[in-house]
Amino acid sequence: MDDARITALALRARDGDRGAAGEFVAATQHQVWRLLVHLADPSVAEELTQETYERALGSLRRYRGDAPARSWLLSVARRVAADHLRRRSRRPVSPAPLAEDDRPVGGAPRGDLAESVAVRHAVDALDPDRREAFVLTQVIGLSYEEAAAVCRCPIGTIRSRVARARADLVDALADRPAERPHRSG
Amino acid sequence: MRVAGNHGAGRDDQHGVDCDGCREAMSAALDGEADAAEQARIDAHLGGCAACRSWQRDAALVTRHVRTAAVGAGPDLVDRVVDAAPAASVRWRGVSARAGLAAVGLAQAVLGLVSLLGAATHAHAMTDPFMVLGAGMAHATHETAAWNLALGVAFLGGALFTRHLAGLLPVLGAFIAVLAVLSGLDLVAGRVEPGRVVSHLVLVAGFLLGLAVVRSGPRPGTGPSPGARWWRPGGRSVVADDGPTRPAPTPWERESDVA
Repeated sequence: MDDARITALALRARDGDRGAAGEFVAATQHQVWRLLVHLADPSVAEELTQETYERALGSLRRYRGDAPARSWLLSVARRVAADHLRRRSRRPVSPAPLAEDDRPVGGAPRGDLAESVAVRHAVDALDPDRREAFVLTQVIGLSYEEAAAVCRCPIGTIRSRVARARADLVDALADRPAERPHRSG
Repeated sequence: MRVAGNHGAGRDDQHGVDCDGCREAMSAALDGEADAAEQARIDAHLGGCAACRSWQRDAALVTRHVRTAAVGAGPDLVDRVVDAAPAASVRWRGVSARAGLAAVGLAQAVLGLVSLLGAATHAHAMTDPFMVLGAGMAHATHETAAWNLALGVAFLGGALFTRHLAGLLPVLGAFIAVLAVLSGLDLVAGRVEPGRVVSHLVLVAGFLLGLAVVRSGPRPGTGPSPGARWWRPGGRSVVADDGPTRPAPTPWERESDVA
């Protein structure tokens, strides 16, 4: 669904159209959830996605439609993730152990499993700013300009963060020969 | 992941672009964010730099893996969160508050006009014995009448162009607060008839309805907009070439908008 349609749904939802609100959530929830899987972690992504919508829909009355609704929503999700990480750092808990056989979110075709796990771990290990820019542009599919609006930073910053994230990933995956898939047999 | 290995990023003085700069440009090119001139510089650098050629292949491979990574369907939260959206009543609440405000504005304007006419006829009839701060009774009455008329116009304008209503409320709130105290004192001292005080309730009604309209949210297109809404310095036109209006992807209002 394109941005103009999502924005139109958000405006109808703002004016009290619950059906449009439902369509708005249905059209965007997968992307919000994926972003939160990467910005926070999979175990809390669902809870944080719910929190994102509660905040966004609750403040929808003040949404003017000046920015595309999808970017606006993703910036709320970004803030929810940041708040979550801040809360968690205040009362430290031991993070869920990342097992080597941890399946990537939802599972993957057999042969690509190891690669998917390796890529996911490498993405998770990126510096947070780089990871955010990388996930917004590669996983969510935003343009650099849209990602810059979500992060409230210059486009050049997104551009260099994405490039550095790519360089980090190339290095990280080259350093892990043990995780290369064994295709023989 | 089969990537070739570590690639040290060095400087390539021969082509005037260092490897770091080239890799940033290649990264942008992978995302379709590099222009032709940049692409030409990349090609020039790649011609003489095997490490960057190899990096380009690896970066493309990594990108493909990330973009095509299998993901499960996320949770379906529609039923759980949809209640947080504004209720269906907000629309007619906003509309009826605006209609009420327009009616109150009309009433207030009529009150103002009546007192203006009354004041004008009385002014001829008497010579004013009381002068307070340079104004006779007649002039003070003129001032009051003008003010009442202006408030009526402001209510009517606010009902039509809701964007400008919020600015009116602090002025009106202060006016009502002071007037309430003074009216109370005057009533006790018998300096005013109750009927006159009751007419002030129109103002209170206008204030409350204005508050309701403002709280029912912004409505684009309800009147002449400040220029900044359509044109921002450094921003772009909101109207796309190909028809439907497209909101400019520039920073939006305020941090508080998203609470």
